[in-house]
Amino acid sequence: KIEKAKPLKCGTFGATSLQQRYFATGDFGGNLNIWNLEAPEIPVYSVKGHKEIINSIDGVGGLGIGEGAPEIVTGSRDGTVKVWDPRQKDTPVANMEPVQGESKRDCWTVAFGNAYNQEERVVCAGYDNGDIKLFDLKTMSLRWETNIKNGVCSVEFDRKDVNMNKLVATSLEGKFHVFDMRTQHPTKGFASVSEKAQKSTIWQVRHLPQNRDIFMTSGGAGSLNLWKYEYPAQRSKKDSEGAEMGVAGSVSLLQNVTLSTQPISSLDWSPDKKGLCVCGAFDQTVRVLIVTKLNKV
Amino acid sequence: MPVWLREHRWRQTADAVYLSLPVRGLRVTPANIFCTDRYLKVSIPPFLFEAILYAAIDDTNSTAKIGNGIIFFTLYKKEAAMWDSLTLVNANKEKLQYLRENAVLKAHEKAKEEAEAKKVTKQEHRKCALEATMKLEEAERKRIEDLKETERQKVTKELELWKKQQEDAEKQKRVQKEGELDQEVEQLKEKKKEKMNKTRIPNEGASKTGLKATKGCHGSHSMFSENLKEEQLPAPRSAATIKINFTSRVFPTALRESRVAEEEEWLRKQAEARRTLSADLSELEDLKEEEKNPDWLKDKGNKMFAMGNYLAAVNAYNLAVRLNSKLPLLYLNRAACHLKLRNLHKAIEDSSKALELLTPPVPDNENARVKAYVRRGTAFCQLELYTEGLQDYEAALKIDPKRKTVEKDAEKIRHLIQGTMQDS
Repeated sequence: KIEKAKPLKCGTFGATSLQQRYFATGDFGGNLNIWNLEAPEIPVYSVKGHKEIINSIDGVGGLGIGEGAPEIVTGSRDGTVKVWDPRQKDTPVANMEPVQGESKRDCWTVAFGNAYNQEERVVCAGYDNGDIKLFDLKTMSLRWETNIKNGVCSVEFDRKDVNMNKLVATSLEGKFHVFDMRTQHPTKGFASVSEKAQKSTIWQVRHLPQNRDIFMTSGGAGSLNLWKYEYPAQRSKKDSEGAEMGVAGSVSLLQNVTLSTQPISSLDWSPDKKGLCVCGAFDQTVRVLIVTKLNKV
Repeated sequence: MPVWLREHRWRQTADAVYLSLPVRGLRVTPANIFCTDRYLKVSIPPFLFEAILYAAIDDTNSTAKIGNGIIFFTLYKKEAAMWDSLTLVNANKEKLQYLRENAVLKAHEKAKEEAEAKKVTKQEHRKCALEATMKLEEAERKRIEDLKETERQKVTKELELWKKQQEDAEKQKRVQKEGELDQEVEQLKEKKKEKMNKTRIPNEGASKTGLKATKGCHGSHSMFSENLKEEQLPAPRSAATIKINFTSRVFPTALRESRVAEEEEWLRKQAEARRTLSADLSELEDLKEEEKNPDWLKDKGNKMFAMGNYLAAVNAYNLAVRLNSKLPLLYLNRAACHLKLRNLHKAIEDSSKALELLTPPVPDNENARVKAYVRRGTAFCQLELYTEGLQDYEAALKIDPKRKTVEKDAEKIRHLIQGTMQDS
């Protein structure tokens, strides 16, 4: 059991190699630390990255998945999203911050994607005013933004290490949106389908590592929903001006279960055993679950 | 007066009486026939047949057959005896009446009893049905539970098996590793020597071709390869910043669709509250709707100021202040106009009023307060009240020490003061 000075909000193993297994955490004071869990007294890497609590963290390039440099992205209540390289101290390699004079919005969630070769990376960030922004790290520019009318609680690409395929964004009011990321229309952006379920905030979404069309959402009423996405007959079509436009498919509910009366705020799948997942809830319990018959879906 | 039907014929056996009643051309329904144990009546208005029976009959089992123009009654006697006649002959009118009423009452009671009996049976049937469905549902639930249970057990077993497999795999790997490690150590030591002889590849801006060469050696799981692997990764990105804008939102809370209506309502009310409260000023009737809005007037004033038309700007601000005397920005801007118009006393007044309204001092109105202090300071200085002016400049600097122009001006004033003091 290890205790640190400031409470921790989020953590990831995403940017570490399989041998090192360093754990990167963001805490309530805005510090990003990377710990060697075998020697946890002093962090391997530490930086006071943000002025306020780091709400969300994601890592890419580690665990033998994907290519390119290992990087960690953090999103904070101070409205900025910063990308860090564990080899570079003190300064982030990318910083997405509001324009001078703009009032800041809380960034609630961040995710990496599109890391299919050494240069390409995108970061997707969701904010409390419903904004979703997609930043391209190769060109260091804003590639796409939209607003889903409800604060965005969680975003995740279906796979970090492939050409970006699907993005799921969950929000307050029990809604989530699935965006088809293969075709970007110059004005309309990405096509999406949205679903309302669970009647309360959808805290997190996680895709099954073994099948990228199945994902689970966890809700504020203590329930977990398992969904399957079906692709449309044609993923893209031409609009009236001849520009390519994506077509969103459909989502169907496979199963649901209510485990608790408190929100289930975080969940993750095991990469080794198909269907094994763990979730943590506000009722101070960690539950390990197994989902069966996923082969038959 | 009813028309009596008298053409009936009857015959009897020991147990039953057979009565036939012709009803030519009349439509008879069971409702027309009324029968109790002593009384029989067939009433097809205006025709009437009535018989007060000689003895009691069993009216539940007796039947009436309605055929072609004739009703055939089969009345089963309660007591097997031969009747002298079908009806009671020497019955007086009162007795008849009494018997009739009795009959009706009896019929009523019978009907009630039957109804009750029916209700009871119906309830029992319903209960039965309910129990049956409940049993079915229970069975279904149990079936599903059993399915789930078997599934659960199967999966738990699988999980245990898988766990064991992982452990065995781990053990095997460890054994393998130890075996290989010795070999690898030798290999890598050699390779490292080779590398040191080549030119050193710097970490920043690493050339990819150099890296590809080292990639040739297979990635192994020992500690020595860590250093090699690091050089295989691309260098950290060159730092950059992306500036973003947010979809504007007045409230600091998160956006929720269900709350949007409420929020709009609140904002609208706020805007209205800042509009004119005293609508009874007669002059205001001439003004258009927008001209009664202090915000709009403020914007107008700002535009006039920018164009250099200071008098018009002052007018606009004056009207705005009349409508709403609580907006500090109006006084602030009017002070600037007065400065330009060299109405220094008015400028001081307005800046002071603005400062009053800008309490409590919070970071939000920092900007405004600095401006107020600077304007008042300028006015003081132009009136040659340098000490007061300096005070204000220093106050402005305290709020925002980074304004270079303010600093320079403060310095100038200080010099002036020192200059005048020296003179006197």
